[in-house]
Amino acid sequence: MKNISKIGVVAALAAVLSTGVASAQEDQITIGFLPGVVDPFYQVMEIGVEAAVADLGFKLVTQIPPTWGVEVQTPILDAMVARGDIDYLVIAPTDKDQMVGPLLLALETGIKVITVDTFLGDGDYINGPVTFPISYIGSDNVEGGRISARGLAKAIGGTGKVYINSTNPNVSSVEGRAIGFNEVMDNEFPDIEVIGLDFNLDDMNTAVQQTAATLERVPDLVGVFGTNVFSAQGAGTAVVNAGLGGVVSVVAYDATQFAIEQLREGVVSLVLAQKPFDMGYMAVQFAAADAKGVTSLPRRVQTGFAIIDIENVDDPEVARFIYQVPN
Amino acid sequence: MASEPVLSIRNLVKRFGGLVAVNDVSLDVFPGEVVALLGDNGAGKSTLIKCVSGVHSPTGGHIIFEGEEVHFSRPIEARDHGIETIYQDLALANNLDVPGNVFLGREVEKSYLGGLLRPLDNKFMLAQTASALASLHAEIPSLEVPIESLSGGQRQAVAIARAVYWQARLMIMDEPTNNLGVPEQHKVLDLIRALRDRGVPVILISHTLPEVFAVSDRLVVMHRGRKVTEKKVGDTNSEEIVQYMVGALDDTRTPAPVA
Amino acid sequence: MDQQVTQPVTKAGFSAPKTRTAGDRLILSLIHVWAWVFLAALILAFVVSVPLVSGSSVSFFTVRNSQNILVAITPILLLGLGQTFVIISGGIDLSVGWVMSWASVLSALALREAYNAGLPLPLAVAVGFGAAVVGGGMVGLFNGVIIAKLKVPPFIVTLGTSFIVRGMALLFSENTTVIGLPRGVRDYGNEALMYFVRGEGGGFYFLDKPELTGEMLRRMDRIITYPVLLTALVVAVAIFVLRRTKFGRHTYAIGGNREAAIRAGVPVERHIIMLYVMSAATAGIAGFLSMLRFTAGSAVIGDPLLLSSIAAVIIGGVSLFGGSGSVVGTIIGSLIIAVLTTGLVMLNVPSFYQFIVVGAVVILAVLIDQSRGIIKDRIETR
Repeated sequence: MKNISKIGVVAALAAVLSTGVASAQEDQITIGFLPGVVDPFYQVMEIGVEAAVADLGFKLVTQIPPTWGVEVQTPILDAMVARGDIDYLVIAPTDKDQMVGPLLLALETGIKVITVDTFLGDGDYINGPVTFPISYIGSDNVEGGRISARGLAKAIGGTGKVYINSTNPNVSSVEGRAIGFNEVMDNEFPDIEVIGLDFNLDDMNTAVQQTAATLERVPDLVGVFGTNVFSAQGAGTAVVNAGLGGVVSVVAYDATQFAIEQLREGVVSLVLAQKPFDMGYMAVQFAAADAKGVTSLPRRVQTGFAIIDIENVDDPEVARFIYQVPN
Repeated sequence: MASEPVLSIRNLVKRFGGLVAVNDVSLDVFPGEVVALLGDNGAGKSTLIKCVSGVHSPTGGHIIFEGEEVHFSRPIEARDHGIETIYQDLALANNLDVPGNVFLGREVEKSYLGGLLRPLDNKFMLAQTASALASLHAEIPSLEVPIESLSGGQRQAVAIARAVYWQARLMIMDEPTNNLGVPEQHKVLDLIRALRDRGVPVILISHTLPEVFAVSDRLVVMHRGRKVTEKKVGDTNSEEIVQYMVGALDDTRTPAPVA
Repeated sequence: MDQQVTQPVTKAGFSAPKTRTAGDRLILSLIHVWAWVFLAALILAFVVSVPLVSGSSVSFFTVRNSQNILVAITPILLLGLGQTFVIISGGIDLSVGWVMSWASVLSALALREAYNAGLPLPLAVAVGFGAAVVGGGMVGLFNGVIIAKLKVPPFIVTLGTSFIVRGMALLFSENTTVIGLPRGVRDYGNEALMYFVRGEGGGFYFLDKPELTGEMLRRMDRIITYPVLLTALVVAVAIFVLRRTKFGRHTYAIGGNREAAIRAGVPVERHIIMLYVMSAATAGIAGFLSMLRFTAGSAVIGDPLLLSSIAAVIIGGVSLFGGSGSVVGTIIGSLIIAVLTTGLVMLNVPSFYQFIVVGAVVILAVLIDQSRGIIKDRIETR
């Protein structure tokens, strides 16, 4: 009995406090930013969000989950909703289905949702199963896989055997990349054979071992697609140690500074850059437009890619896509 | 036989809260004798020897060991004085071999490269263990197997050999023949005699009267925390001792009721 | 020699002589060496099946593959080494995976700072090594003191510290990865003591990397890379310490009968503290080596390795109840895991089968360990 009344008091107090905060800032739009996990990609996105917020004179509340996952992201989301002052939430949902429920609860409190990098449902907010978010702003992983495939095909001269090293199965991002990669190799490059795919389960040591074993199994391998930086780094290490640096091309997804360093070291040969800054900046602009009453915002925006290799890495036009994170 | 006692317990009292476990007990142990400590469960004999072996601190009274008053707060202090206790559980590491147990905590090392490399001197420890066992006439087929493969009596021999090797000056044995078969029991009694012959006094706690009479020089009986009698083994018999153990006889009461 | 080994060890002693039949002896000796037999069978199976499945030009039994497997076991083995000691003493250390990550971050930062401060590369690498060992060791000291002095169960303490250390690794790292290490660090993590160039114009090079390009480079095998060398040194020390020193003897004694060790005057508390320091320090070395190998400190590199390393220790015959086991067993356990990964990839079998096999082998190892006791009991009560 005592406990219940205590909880009641606390809840009432929290309600009073939060409404107080909300009413004090009625005139100013507050953006909530909740990316998937702490990593360079999302940190560049955060810089984009911050830049737009500063340009527009908005207020910003940012929370970055320490690890990837619904069970980590949801409590943070709930806490942000409980603040009561957030008008627009820019979020990278960590699961396309499981995050729908928690975000619907946020919607009920009047928070409008924009998803970045990852989407809800199937990403089609017009005809798909989930339609409540204003927009999905991101780069299509399948398209990223296609571009990686074309980049690799060009590097190896359109012929030979290639291999994919990925992190985990059933993760939409890396899965999409592999699908796009396979699709292009099948349709556009008949002389290229994708000989297999291994999951390293986010373990760089395993990525090395798997790639080394694959090089033994397939001595005429000419290319590897690492579906994230760490897979590519592990694969590249095995390639260089086999004396195949420059002979076997390695494509890395995501232009982190680490990936660029590995590019300069010759461990990876191609780096695919997404545009997280654009995603963050544009999401806040969409919020501003929605607040002003714009009704014809696109429900899906693709921010595109840049391919970085050792030739163009120092070109300022390309280098600006490297994920520059201040330490 | 020297006339100075090795161990002298004077008016020892141990209380646990309101319970008086040991009540004003005095007892001497002389070199080369086996003193049996008898009594029912709860008579206080285990508490008494735990005071001597440093497990308990006495509430009152004195313990004089080799002419000096001692106050042990931990078992290792009693051991450092040469008081070795062989518990029912033997306190052996069953996964170590025989020399490993005999030398546990006091391993002998060789020294190479100015002490940088100090491997165990297993050869030396093995030889010493073998001779310690031989001096007790104890036979163990293989010393270099984990002692978990040895019989209860063999393990008892290992524990005793350890005490002998480290020159125990008083040996306390708590129910050493418990859980042993008859041939093994005889072997352990032989070990106790071998100890006595080397001049090491033994305090033996036991329930088994024939065994006590077979090996002891003196008998001390406790009842409800008090020492009720002390007899030379030739001056008494099993029936009388049982009377003391159940409290029917008591030398501290005068006059003793006659049955 | 052989005769001596197979002779019945029991002679007339205190109790009635025990008898062992030839069958019992065979079973007992098989139990003793089953992990070796299993590893040999596994290698043989891959040697035979890989050319059959992946084409006759592909061989499992090559110098390069052997070296790949050696490189692959180094992190598992280093994490398993300290763990072997800890588990023999009756404890467990769940923090090693995260300590490895923490040490990798710390050593990368230290190396970079030292180099930027003007130290020559070899010295900067040494600074990185020191940072990894000391930084890891401090975590072990914390573990050990709380376990030994405050008597908190090791499972709980090391679980707790693993979270703390994980947080520290993420905090200290720059967005999970510490980069900007000097060029040349990579060589420390990937170059080797010896090189062997196969085929035409080839040869053997000791302490001297041949200058090769193109196709010749592909025929060059690195034999005993520096991380493998360092790991081998650490393993040799560990074998010596466990088998031949007082420290090793006390480790077994504490796991066998802690009370007996205390009564015998073994400094049990101090010993336990040292065990956890050792475990964390070897995990620190694993972190240091992975930092060299990938030229980056990673706050997540060790996480996936914890369970593999414990599996390796158990497969190697270390009893989780303490008191028995050996470093050599842990090496075999690590090898079984690494051979499986490499072999399955060479067979082009999905690598998830590796987990199924490893899981089955872990359970098998424990079953065999138990049957050892059962068979012994059966013989004794006969």
